[in-house]
Amino acid sequence: MTAQGIGVPVRRKEDARFLTGQGTYTDDINRHGQVYAHILRSPHAHAKIGKIDTAVAKDAPGVVAVFTGADMQVGGLPCGWLIKSKDGTPMAEPPHPVLAQGKVRHVGDPVAVVIAASRAEARDAAELIEIDYDVLPAAVTAEDALKPGAPQLHDGAPGNLCYDWHIGDKAAVDAAFAKAAHVTRLEIVNNRLVANPLEPRAAIGEFDRGTGEYTLYTTSQNPHVIRLLMGAFVLQLPEHKLRVVAPDVGGGFGSKIFHYAEEAIITWAAGKVGKPIKWTADRSESFASDAQGRDHVTTAELALDKNGKFLALRVATQANLGAYLSTFSTSVPTYLYATLLAGTYTTPAIYAEVKAAFTNTVPVDAYRGAGRPEACFVVERLVDAAARETKIDPVELRRRNFIAKDAYPYQTPVALVYDSGDYAATLDMALKSADYAGFEKRRQEAAKRGKLRGIGIATYIEACGIAPSALAGAIGARAGLYETAEVRVHPTGSISVFTGTHSHGQGHETTFAQIVSDRLSVPIEMVEVVHGDTDKIPFGMGTYGSRSLPVGGSALVKSLDKVVNKGKKIAAHLLEASEADIEFKDGKYTVAGTDKAVPFAQIAFTAYVPHNYPIEELEPGLDETSF
Amino acid sequence: MATVSLTVNGKKATAQVESRTLLVQLLREHLGLTGTHVGCDTSQCGACVVHVDGVSVKSCTMLAVQAEGASVTTIEGLANGNELHPMQAAFREHHGLQCGFCTPGMVMSAVDFAKRNKNPTEHQIREWLEGNLCRCTGYHNIVKAIQAGTEAMARTVR
Repeated sequence: MTAQGIGVPVRRKEDARFLTGQGTYTDDINRHGQVYAHILRSPHAHAKIGKIDTAVAKDAPGVVAVFTGADMQVGGLPCGWLIKSKDGTPMAEPPHPVLAQGKVRHVGDPVAVVIAASRAEARDAAELIEIDYDVLPAAVTAEDALKPGAPQLHDGAPGNLCYDWHIGDKAAVDAAFAKAAHVTRLEIVNNRLVANPLEPRAAIGEFDRGTGEYTLYTTSQNPHVIRLLMGAFVLQLPEHKLRVVAPDVGGGFGSKIFHYAEEAIITWAAGKVGKPIKWTADRSESFASDAQGRDHVTTAELALDKNGKFLALRVATQANLGAYLSTFSTSVPTYLYATLLAGTYTTPAIYAEVKAAFTNTVPVDAYRGAGRPEACFVVERLVDAAARETKIDPVELRRRNFIAKDAYPYQTPVALVYDSGDYAATLDMALKSADYAGFEKRRQEAAKRGKLRGIGIATYIEACGIAPSALAGAIGARAGLYETAEVRVHPTGSISVFTGTHSHGQGHETTFAQIVSDRLSVPIEMVEVVHGDTDKIPFGMGTYGSRSLPVGGSALVKSLDKVVNKGKKIAAHLLEASEADIEFKDGKYTVAGTDKAVPFAQIAFTAYVPHNYPIEELEPGLDETSF
Repeated sequence: MATVSLTVNGKKATAQVESRTLLVQLLREHLGLTGTHVGCDTSQCGACVVHVDGVSVKSCTMLAVQAEGASVTTIEGLANGNELHPMQAAFREHHGLQCGFCTPGMVMSAVDFAKRNKNPTEHQIREWLEGNLCRCTGYHNIVKAIQAGTEAMARTVR
């Protein structure tokens, strides 16, 4: 470990600019000749659109253009994960238009865009658009939407059902329940929530007539994903003519993973009007258009034997997906949820079924933990309820059912294999930290003051940093999930790192620089971490699901290894030694067993000024990329 | 249109604005001072806090014309050249920020607090922060930073 290496608590590199107002968030960017967009949204949960009259709005002061769904005939917003129902049929995947096509399906559904010289003029003009709405009955809960006779949202989704999916061994679970000494049953609502990063979503679209290139600045956690989805599926723009920049981003919490209609509208319209266009959501728009989280209603049952050992778990969940399929929405209540239902326990048989419904609400997608906290909530609520019902202490009941520390690798009944763990030990640590043994005394003391003191226990396990695999493809992932890192060592030894992950508060500019410092023994001040620009970064899947360090950090280490190994070849040449005898340590290449050494910076310089260099065997330069 | 003349970060500024223009719009869009942020439009989040005549104000809740003749300080005007203001330094030292979006408003609000409370309790800091929302750090380190920044200001600022 170096003075600033992995694990050292250094001050963050990015803080100086954030603390002095020098951060560059999307709305802070202004392009020459920029005009402003306002999105007119549906005030109704469900309605047919008759006539849209934009004539008065088009003549309003400052207005550059008004577009509706009739003007914008492009592809729909795609969904990135295909789920198949129990019977093998693919999920219902109805069109997700960027501007409404004849119907609106949730409050906030975009209907028209007004582009004007100022934000205020765009908003004023939007109020002059006349729309004939034929308001329809709405279904807002999954339960209501799945009932016979419910209002139907999409022609292509009969009964508002997206999919009826399952996982696990139903027969084994039924058999275990039949012989159970005790069954605990719960109805659990995991309520919908709004992600609400402090920075509202924003986008700036720009078109360069000279080169035919589009640029989109956007509040995104993964600009390459946006480039791929918007370019290939919505606007049919080839990737070499489309640049997506996600500059400083003020928090995401999942909600800035997805490709949103506004990004496509702004980019497309910039080409139509020939001027850069900025759109910035206000907070009300965030509530009506950012993908939301959770919204599960679950019936869960746990079967136990007479000693409190879990025999089986049966789960039936109705998941509310909202009006349309947001980018990764379909994976959340399935593979990101039910595969975690084993929790930390040895429950030998698990069966879960999930019905996902379209409703007249804002689309739901991944939010903090995405499915996994929902699974934990189900399991831990059940365990607590079972403890109360069987009068077994909730700590003791958990201990009896933990996967033992010598049972790894552990195959759960719901697909995942756990590699390691010692849950009893971590629970002991938590109980000690919380002074669990002393709780009763504290409770009595609080009661004397008229206060009701409680204590709760939950264990949590999460599968994160999902990486590419044949399994990911087999279960419907439509995206690769790898990551890239380029390490560009400059001639004088300073370093630029280009990562496909994206920091929106996580602090990669510091932590990734620490990885470099750790490996190459350079100060973090000599390392610049570059992210968030498809023109600079080879490729990337961005940041979500706790993937930046396990996936992106691994790619960075691979690139650093390549740099070190190329440096060994150069050092061997300079030191007139065999490559096998060269060691790299503390920023120096040495010949083993001698005092002959050459510093890393000299290797870098030699790579770019290769006068004394093994030029026949080795390319010049010191710039390595890993996928 | 109205003409507004004011002093911003020690420099005189004049702008022609629509009378409905908010102070934050004047700062961000007319004067290019984008360090002051808009997070909620509804005076709740405090990302837009600046000082008007030395007092913290939510600049999304004040018309630009109301600042006629006033002296406004934004986050860009707080540091002394490259030397961070003690409150900025305390936020850095105590990791009182993650994404940085709420940070300018937090710092400006905290500076006003520190001027009014020389030796505050943690409870007083938390009460004061009612008007500033952070979505990332959960306040724990922000409170520590304000405690330290307040002490540092008492030692070094006036």
